[in-house]
Amino acid sequence: MNVFISGAAGGLGRAMAAECARRGYRLFLTDRDSAGLEALQKGLERQFGAITVVYACDLTDPGSVDAMLAYVDGSRIRFDMLLNVAGVDFEGGFMHRDRERMVEIVSLNDGATLRITHAVLERRREVRPFTAVFVSSLACMFPMPLKAAYAASKRFLLDFAAALRQELKDEGVNVLVLCPGGMVTKKDTLAAIRAQGFWGEVTTNPLERVARRTLDRALAGKGTYIPGGVNKVLSGLGRCLPRPWVAAAIYGRWTRAQKKWLGA
Amino acid sequence: MRTVVITGATSGIGLEIAKLLAKQGFRVLGVGRDWDRCQRALEIVTRVSAPGRAEFFAADLLQQREIIRLAEELGETLRVTAEGELFALINNAGCARGWYMTTEDGYEQQFALNFLAGFSLTYRLLPQLKKANGRVIMTGSKSHNGIGVHWNDVMLSRRYNPLTAYKQSKLCCLLFARGLNDRYAHQGIRAYAVDPGLVRTDIGNKDTGGLVNLVWTLRKRGGASPEIPARTFLYLCQAEPAPEGLNYFRCRERGYSRQVTSANADRLFALGERLCGVQYDKRAEA
Ligand SMILES: NC(=O)c1ccc[n+]([C@@H]2O[C@H](COP(=O)([O-])OP(=O)(O)OC[C@H]3O[C@@H](n4cnc5c(N)ncnc54)[C@H](OP(=O)(O)O)[C@@H]3O)[C@@H](O)[C@H]2O)c1
Repeated sequence: MNVFISGAAGGLGRAMAAECARRGYRLFLTDRDSAGLEALQKGLERQFGAITVVYACDLTDPGSVDAMLAYVDGSRIRFDMLLNVAGVDFEGGFMHRDRERMVEIVSLNDGATLRITHAVLERRREVRPFTAVFVSSLACMFPMPLKAAYAASKRFLLDFAAALRQELKDEGVNVLVLCPGGMVTKKDTLAAIRAQGFWGEVTTNPLERVARRTLDRALAGKGTYIPGGVNKVLSGLGRCLPRPWVAAAIYGRWTRAQKKWLGA
Repeated sequence: MRTVVITGATSGIGLEIAKLLAKQGFRVLGVGRDWDRCQRALEIVTRVSAPGRAEFFAADLLQQREIIRLAEELGETLRVTAEGELFALINNAGCARGWYMTTEDGYEQQFALNFLAGFSLTYRLLPQLKKANGRVIMTGSKSHNGIGVHWNDVMLSRRYNPLTAYKQSKLCCLLFARGLNDRYAHQGIRAYAVDPGLVRTDIGNKDTGGLVNLVWTLRKRGGASPEIPARTFLYLCQAEPAPEGLNYFRCRERGYSRQVTSANADRLFALGERLCGVQYDKRAEA
């Protein structure tokens, strides 16, 4: 099994890569962070004897992606699985954040994901089943003030994945969208979870379990994975309550949490 | 003047060891993860000892590549200031985590910092330790008891339990000390583990979250001041000839888990060597 992972040097990417390596899959890992990629490559080799190719690349830059694809084609690599993990979030009020940062949320989370998905699907191994995973977020279930662009960018992935799943069903391609709550991937996410107090704790998903189950479910042909009971209930509520109510409720909770977090 | 390296010397037990050893006339090379906190610790240690007695190095010991860089810097400093001799290496840096988190290398963090960092750093400073007939001291813990190494999944990614990960990492510290003695005692190096007891530090409140954070906040109230375990480290650095025991608590030998065998140590060395890309000598047959 040849697996392409974007955002591989981040917390979830590393956990996914480790899970794949444990299963004996061969890996093609990309990320912006080239030092992180190299460290991970070495670590996976040492821990699992994994066969790993790494290529540092800015996925929002079409030229860099073309160069990467030329490298893939030159090495005649073809894929059986794609894990779209790369994504960014810049927390805070829309008008309090830098304009280009806001645009970057969409250009990476959505634009680059489309670019990579198209490219990797074109390079799938013939006559073999293919699996594509999109990492959305629990946030995609709600209009989220103070995370407006992020939540909407993740909503895009939710809908896109569902539609693509339908389009490619008969071609042996399974598409799964993952909608996790918080996951402790680095110091900042830990601080953010803590700041949200009780709700932060109960919506947090254990990283290692999410990584394992995502692969299990995607390979079993499932279409959506919302880890955790509380998160399933919350996403259900998000679907049936009027959207302005949801936005107002979330706004109230986040302003309180962010004040605590930012130490204001 | 004898030179010692102490990791995790910017707070808690490590900082007290640094103060005490510097006061007693050792030259201290302290290691911390954050440059500003290193500067602060340097000031504190200098204030209680003498100018020039300590030097600090910042390195994130969670990452293997940082350990390599640190070892090079330490090696250079030892060459210039101590004729390439390292009298003691105190692998004390440690952490607790409430969730499964990995390092850049994809290793579980408690395993990576509490055990692998010391395993890797010690290897890279072996020449300097050999030259001084030096000592290696691991900060162990009573919690290493009642558990075995999960050989099939040392990173515990199948079922992560934060406390299990911590206990296992401390058991590995004892196994490492045991294995070092098996390999290098006849070359003049001695290795020990120190059980600090329950100590009032912030270890369980840093990057832990959830239950671990809460439990530690309650638990540490009953802990001793970090000055107390520091004395055991001083004892192991001063005693002549080098004490023969493995595990020490309050300057005395203390028993340890039956899991601490040479066979398990060999197994751990093989694993650690693979994960750090190093190769220790084979155990000297008795
Ligand atoms: N407290 C206890 O009751 C107890 C009991 C048994 C064993 N121990 C062991 O004692 C040792 C010291 O713990 P402590 O209680 O003194 O805790 P502490 O006050 O948190 O000290 C830990 C030290 O390690 C440093 N450190 C943390 N992460 C690091 C990294 N990635 N790279 C480099 N350095 C890093 C810390 O730096 P910062 O100052 O920047 O945080 C600090 O200097 C640990 O090995 C612990 O497992 C403690």
